[in-house]
Amino acid sequence: MRKNNMILLVEDNPDDEALTLRALKKNNILNEVVVARDGAEALDFLFGAGAYAGRDLALMPEVILLDINLPKINGLEVLEKIRANERTRLLPVVILTTSNEERDKIKSYTLGANSFIRKPVDFQQFSEAIRQLGVYWLVLNQSPPVVRG
Amino acid sequence: MGPESPGGTSQSGRRYWKILVVTLGVTCAVGAGLYQLAYLYVLNEAERNIQALLLAHKGTHRYIQEVMHPAFYKLKAEGMVAEKFYSPEILSSSFIVRNEHKAYNEERKAAGLGEVYYKMAALNPRNPVNKADALEEKLIRMFNENKEIKDYRKVVRIDGKDYLYVALPFLVNQERCMKCHGDRGNAPLGLQALYPGQGGFNEKVGDIRAIESIRAPMEHQYYLLYIFVASSFSGLLVLAGLLLFNTRLREMVRARTHELEQEVVERRKAEEEVRQVNEVLEERVEERTAQIAAANKELDSFAYSVSHDLRAPLRGIDGFSQALLEDYGERLDETAKNYISRVRAGCLRMGHLIDDMLQLSRLPRGEILRQEVDLSGVAGEIAEELQRTAPERRVVFEITPGVKVSGDAILLRAVLDNLLGNAWKFTAKTEEARITFGHQEENGKEVLFVRDNGAGFDMAYADKLFGAFQRLHSSQEFEGTGIGLATVQRIIHRHGGNIRAEGAVGQGATFYFSVC
Repeated sequence: MRKNNMILLVEDNPDDEALTLRALKKNNILNEVVVARDGAEALDFLFGAGAYAGRDLALMPEVILLDINLPKINGLEVLEKIRANERTRLLPVVILTTSNEERDKIKSYTLGANSFIRKPVDFQQFSEAIRQLGVYWLVLNQSPPVVRG
Repeated sequence: MGPESPGGTSQSGRRYWKILVVTLGVTCAVGAGLYQLAYLYVLNEAERNIQALLLAHKGTHRYIQEVMHPAFYKLKAEGMVAEKFYSPEILSSSFIVRNEHKAYNEERKAAGLGEVYYKMAALNPRNPVNKADALEEKLIRMFNENKEIKDYRKVVRIDGKDYLYVALPFLVNQERCMKCHGDRGNAPLGLQALYPGQGGFNEKVGDIRAIESIRAPMEHQYYLLYIFVASSFSGLLVLAGLLLFNTRLREMVRARTHELEQEVVERRKAEEEVRQVNEVLEERVEERTAQIAAANKELDSFAYSVSHDLRAPLRGIDGFSQALLEDYGERLDETAKNYISRVRAGCLRMGHLIDDMLQLSRLPRGEILRQEVDLSGVAGEIAEELQRTAPERRVVFEITPGVKVSGDAILLRAVLDNLLGNAWKFTAKTEEARITFGHQEENGKEVLFVRDNGAGFDMAYADKLFGAFQRLHSSQEFEGTGIGLATVQRIIHRHGGNIRAEGAVGQGATFYFSVC
């Protein structure tokens, strides 16, 4: 079993993508980051379909940072599919969103999100959030074993 | 349903039987009554006729004895009549009355009236004409045996006609009668010569020698006809009356039934109209409800969009401004850095604004969840939080303990958050700042208040305090978005309460509010 410290960032907004990557870098989180620009791409990556056909499915992200508002397939649907699939159902999923709607929080946790983090407007706060997130999920947290297909 | 019920025919049949029975009953009763009256009348008439006849006979007797006899004896004394002369046609009152009655009956017959039987009946008369028949003999004996009986009356029927028969004792033998009616040998010779045989002799003193036997017709055949006609007429009258009454009743019932049916029809019509109006109203309510639901949904998605789409670019602006400062800071002069920090401050302010707007728009639009809320406790917690944010500030909090109301705990906490937060904010430049939470009575109602001795406001703008984005102070003076009091007012109104503010510039402000 190969241990991999990859992060899957599902984010459609290029600004947020850039800021997230910057915040990770700033906080010396140098793990590989795979960016999916919409829900469909994220699922393709996870299940080795579409552009990612033939990918080694033994390589699964340490943590998935998942936005809710996404084109094509939204974040909650992505989460639902992740939890429905035997290979991916145990992957840690952190909802990283602009929303602080109660119903989004309820829906996220109901579908099995491991965490829900609201992106602050203040970049310093945002950066701090990313730092703590990285420390927790990549260092402290013991990720589940990869399920072999 | 029609007015005729299935049992109608037999019911009306029974009704006719009743009418028939009543009619027959009335006819019989009236007939019987009339018959009885007529019978009594006829009987009375017969009695009166007999009385009149007897009195007339008595008068004749008296005339013969009191007028004719003295006149005869006078003529005899004067020698106008032979000493031995005797003739019953002239001297016997009985003879004369009997024959006078015979003539009377002939006259009656000629006049078409029934004969009146009259006889001075005796057991042993001189003239066989006066011989009593079987009934009369029996009656004479009865009278003789029972002296206290003074008369005998009976209605008898002969050849289908009713007669009143009356018998009265007529002649009672006196001592003086014995001269002519005693032993024949002792009687005057003239009398013996005139009446051979024993007739009229051998009577005894005290015996009833003869009775008056009278029988008068009771001519009530005519009355029977009248009675029949009258009673039938009465019966028919009653029948007609009953039928008329019945018809009238039926008409009344029919009219009333018709009225009731009309009423029922009208009522149904009215009910139908009400039902239709209700349907229309329900449809409208459903429409409106759907419209409101749609509007709410739109508002929700609008708020959601605001939450996401307005904040995301802000984060970009702030993030890249920060990146600019961090990565290119050494190539920027102080003015440029100042501008960038202003850009960032603007971003943060707008972020707060968006959050406050969202809070205002998210206030529940449906029913609020009521429970008992200890506002004093909540106020205490908020005061502690405020103190923690700026431990260097000296602010006296006066919180009346035990103020409890019924309302939504989260929303009421937001109210106190805003009001106490405002008080905290506007006393920032006040020495010996004092913030009070308490309650008082106004017109019998409990009113809560939050008072401070801070910057206050001009009462001229009091009505603008609660409008969204309305601010009475510049951002430089006191920060804020101008949404807090709008939110507070909305929550208070949602609870059915009121809120108002009093204050003066530099003398603090008091917010009075009630929760129903």
